[in-house]
Amino acid sequence: MRYTKTITAAAVAATAALALAGCSGSSGGSDGSKKTVTMWIYPVIADEAKHKGFWDETVKAFEAEHKDITVKYEIYPWANRDESLSTAIAAGKGPDLVYLIPDQLSTYQKSIEPMDSYLPSAQKKDILDNVAESVTIDGKLMAAPILTSANALMCDAKAFEAAGVTDYPKTWDDLEKLAPTFKEKGIYVTQYFGSPDVTLNMTFYPVLWQAGGSVYNKDGSKVAFDSTAGTKALSLISDFAAKGYIEKDLISTMPALEQTALATNNVACTWQSGPSDVTSFWGEDAIKILPPLTDEKQVSYGTVGSLAMLKGAKDKEAAGEFAAFATDAENSKKFDLASNFFSPLKSTGELYADDPIQSAIEKTIPTSKVGELQPSARAVMGVLAPEIQAALLGTKTPEQALKDAAAAAQPLIK
Amino acid sequence: MTTTPTQPRPPAVGGRPDGDRRDGRPPGLTKRVLARREARIALLFVLPAFLLFLAFRFGPAIAGVGLSFFDYDISGELDWEGLKNFERMLADPTFWQAFGVTLAYSVLAVPISLALSVAMALGVRRAFRGSRFFRSVFFLPVITSLVLAGAIFKWIFSTDGPWSAIMAPLGLGGSWLNSTVLVIPALVIVGVWSRFGYGMLIVIAALQDVPREHEEAALMDGAGAWNRFRYIVLPRLKPTLFFLAVIETTASFQVFDLVYVMTQGGPAHASYSLVYMLYDQGFKYTDYGYAAAIGVALFVMTLVVALIQRRVIGRQK
Amino acid sequence: MTTATPRLKRARSFRALEPTRGGLVVRYIWLSIAAVLCFFPFYAMVVLSLKPGLAVQFPQSLLPWNLSTASYEQVLGGQNLLVWLGNTLIYAIVSVVAVLLLSAMAGYAFAKKRFRGKETMFWSFLAMVMVPFHVTLIPTFIVLAKLGGVDTYWGLILPTLANAQAVFLMRQFIEGLPDDLFEAARIDGAGEFRIFLTIVLPLCKPVLATLGIFIFLWHWNDFLWPLIMAKSSDMWTLTVGIASLQQQNVPLSVMLAGSVVALVPIFFAYVVAQRYVQEGVTSAGIKG
Repeated sequence: MRYTKTITAAAVAATAALALAGCSGSSGGSDGSKKTVTMWIYPVIADEAKHKGFWDETVKAFEAEHKDITVKYEIYPWANRDESLSTAIAAGKGPDLVYLIPDQLSTYQKSIEPMDSYLPSAQKKDILDNVAESVTIDGKLMAAPILTSANALMCDAKAFEAAGVTDYPKTWDDLEKLAPTFKEKGIYVTQYFGSPDVTLNMTFYPVLWQAGGSVYNKDGSKVAFDSTAGTKALSLISDFAAKGYIEKDLISTMPALEQTALATNNVACTWQSGPSDVTSFWGEDAIKILPPLTDEKQVSYGTVGSLAMLKGAKDKEAAGEFAAFATDAENSKKFDLASNFFSPLKSTGELYADDPIQSAIEKTIPTSKVGELQPSARAVMGVLAPEIQAALLGTKTPEQALKDAAAAAQPLIK
Repeated sequence: MTTTPTQPRPPAVGGRPDGDRRDGRPPGLTKRVLARREARIALLFVLPAFLLFLAFRFGPAIAGVGLSFFDYDISGELDWEGLKNFERMLADPTFWQAFGVTLAYSVLAVPISLALSVAMALGVRRAFRGSRFFRSVFFLPVITSLVLAGAIFKWIFSTDGPWSAIMAPLGLGGSWLNSTVLVIPALVIVGVWSRFGYGMLIVIAALQDVPREHEEAALMDGAGAWNRFRYIVLPRLKPTLFFLAVIETTASFQVFDLVYVMTQGGPAHASYSLVYMLYDQGFKYTDYGYAAAIGVALFVMTLVVALIQRRVIGRQK
Repeated sequence: MTTATPRLKRARSFRALEPTRGGLVVRYIWLSIAAVLCFFPFYAMVVLSLKPGLAVQFPQSLLPWNLSTASYEQVLGGQNLLVWLGNTLIYAIVSVVAVLLLSAMAGYAFAKKRFRGKETMFWSFLAMVMVPFHVTLIPTFIVLAKLGGVDTYWGLILPTLANAQAVFLMRQFIEGLPDDLFEAARIDGAGEFRIFLTIVLPLCKPVLATLGIFIFLWHWNDFLWPLIMAKSSDMWTLTVGIASLQQQNVPLSVMLAGSVVALVPIFFAYVVAQRYVQEGVTSAGIKG
C-alpha cells in the first residue's frame, strides 16, 4: 500500500517513455504555400567562407527560379557525422537532403528516398556509368552525384631526393625493395593510419583489393577478407610495422598532422593522405601523383559524393528539385572546381587540363573503387580495425587477426 | 496527538514535542485543516523535483532495462528480442574484453589513487606555510575535464614525448598508448592524476578526527612516523578509506572521457571500456537495444561491487 | 623520525608533533616535486600552445621562449570557441540556478513538512542514486529526441536537473535549522513560499554556495551528455567542441590553445570558490 503510488507512477512514466519511443515521429504538415528544404553538407570545400559563398550563390539562383521554395543548408563537421546523422534520423529530426558517400547510402538505405523520379532523365543519362553504379542499390538511383574523388599514390619528391632514389614504385615489390633504402635515411617508406576513427576504405581496403581480395563475398552474405589475399595484404603492412618502415605511433593514435613524419618530408609515398593535406608542408613542387600500386590488381579507393533525400523530407518535390539543380552540369562543375574534386558527369569533360597534380589524380579515377556497399559496412570496420591494430602491433599474426575479425563480423551482417 | 491518519509523525525538530500547541492559531482553523494545507504546500514544493525524477530517472531507468529486451535501431522499429541481446552479449568476446578492461583499469586505479591521496594528505594535513598552496595545486586536476587534458597527455605519452623519454632507459620507451599491454597503465596514470586530489581532501578531513594526543603519546614512546601512521592513524582512517574506495570504484567502472579522447578504445580494443562500448554500440552503430543490455550489465556490476563493499564495511564496524 | 628534545618532552605540548626544521625542508622538497609533476601537464599545455606551427620536440619545445600567440588568434577567431563558451555558460549557470531552487524546495519539504507519501517519495529519491546514468542515458535521449529536444538548450539542461544528492544535501542542512524562525513567520501570516524565499534560502547560503559550485563544475566538464544531445556545432559545449578539434586535424598548438581558453574560466571559478569546494568535499567525506 505504501509503495503502490510510486510504483504506479513509475510504471506510467515508463510506459509513456516506451510508447513515445515506439511511435514514429509525427510528420509535420507542410503549410502548402511556402516550401522549405533543409540540407546538411560537410566541409567538402575546406575553406568555410568559400564553401558558404558557393552555397549562398547556388541557393539564391535556385530560389530566384523557384519563388515558392526556401532552401536552408547547414555545414556540419566531418567528425562523428554518422552518429549525428543516425541520431537525428532516429529522432525524426533529420534534414531533407544530406551529402552521403556510397558506403553511407548503403547503411541508411532504409531511410533514403530514391532519387530516380526527381532527376530529369537527361541528367541521369549524363552520369558516368561507374558513378551511377556506385549510387544505385537494387536498381534504384539512391542519390544525385555531385563529385568524385580518388586517392592515388602520392609520393614526396623531396624524400626521394634525400634518399637518392629515382624510380617511383609501381608495385608492392617496388615498395618493399625501396623500404630499407629509405629507412637508412630515417624516412618511412609509407604510412598507415590504424586509428579506428579512420575509415578502412582509405587505409586497408585498397591494399586488400590490390591483393585481389574483397571485403564481402559475391552476394554480400559473408565477409571474405579472411582469405589468402587478405592475409597477404595485412602481412604487407604488418611486416612494414615490424621492420620499422612505418611510423609506429600512427597505429593507434591520430596526432595533429604537423606532428607526424609526413609533415617533415619523412614519408616516401602514401595512399592515405592527399595533396590538400601536404601542400603547406611540402610545397606543391614536391607532390608527385602516381597511379595506384599494383599487386594482383591495380586499384585505389575513390568515392562519390552525392545528395540523398531522406524519407522524412516534408516537401519531397521541392527537395528533389533543389537536388537536381545543385547537381546539374553547370553547378556541379562549379562545385567540383571550387572543392578540387572531380566531376561525376560525362558532359563536363576534363576539369583540370592545366593543373598537373589534379589531372594526374583525375587519370586515376577509372581505377578507383568506391568500396563494397553493405549496410553493415561500418559495423564490420568497427571489428576489423582493432584486429588490424593487433596484427600491426605484433600481438597476433595477420591470419589470426583476420580470422578473429571475420568471426566477430559475421553476426553483424543482418 | 497526531492528526495525519496514515503516517507516524516524524520526530519534531528543535525539541518541542508538539510545536503547534503554543502558537496563537486563528480560531476556526483546526489542526486537520492546517495539516492538509501543509501537506498540499509541501507537495507543491516537492513536485517539481519529483516530476523531473519521474521523467528523467525513474522512467528512463525502467525503460533502459526494458529497452535491452528489444531490437531498436534508427529505422524506429521496435522488435521484441527477449533475452537475445543478453545472449549475444555474453557470447561476445568484445563484451568480455570490455569487462576485463574496465576491471583491470579499476583494479589499478583505485588502490593507487587511494594511496596517493593518503600520502599527499599526510603531507599537507597540518597547516604550514604553503600548505594551502599545495592543496590547491593537487586539486587542480580534479576540476580539469579529461577531455580538455587529453590532448596534452596524448603528447606526453607519444613516442617523442616526455614520458617515453623517461621510460626509455627502463626499456619501456615508445608510446605507451601504442601498446596493448601498457595502454591501461597509461590511462591509469592520467586517471589517478585527475582524481587523487579529491581523495586527498577527504582524507585530510578525516585526519582532523584523529586525536592528536594519541599520536603525541606514540611519539613520546619513541614510535617512528611509519609506526605512528600504521597503528594510530590508519585504523581511524579505515571507514573513510572504504567510503573513498566505493566512490573511486564506481567512477572507474564508468571511465569514458579518458578513453574517448586518448585511445578510442584502442589499440586493438585494449582500452575498450564498458561505457565506451555502450557509446559505440548505441550511438555509432545505433544498436540501441544492445547498448541498453550493456548498460544493464554495468549496473549489475556496480551493484554487486557496492554490495560487497558494504558487506566488508559492515563487518569492519 | 623526529625525536623529541628533552625540553619538549618535559613540556608535553602540542609542539611535539610539529615538524623540525629539517623535517620541514624535506617535506617541502617532496611536496614540491609532487606539485611540479602534478602541474606539469598544465605548464606544457600553455607553453606548447604558444609555439604554433612546429613539430614538438622534447625537451626543447618546453622551454619558455620563442612564444607567439598566433594559435590563440586562430582558435578564438576561426573556430566557434566563443559560441561554445557561451553554450557552456548557459548550460552550467541555468542548471545551477534550477537545481539549487528545486532541490532547496524539495529538501525543505522533506526536512520540515509532513505530508502523505513523504517516506515513499524520499526512498524513491534514494533509490535513484543507485542507478548509473548509462542505464537511463539512451531512453532519456530517445524520449527527448522524439520531443524535439535534441540540439536545444532545454533538452540539454532538463534531464540534468534531476539531482538526488542535491536534494539530500539540502534536506540534511535544512533539518538542522531551528523551527522557531519558520513558526514565527507563519504566525505573522507569511505565506509558505515567502517564508521559503526570505528565511530558508538565506540561511542556506553556505550549502547553496558549495552545492552550486559543484554543480557548476560538473556541468562545465560534462562530456558524454552534450556529446549526444548537442549535434550542430553551434550548440556544442566547450568539451565537445575541443574534442572535435582533435578530429579535425587542427595543429596541436591550436588544440592546446583551445583547451587553455576552456580551462581559464573554471580555474578562475575555483580560485574564487576554493573554500566552498574544499569544504564541500570534506563534509561529504566525513559523513561517509
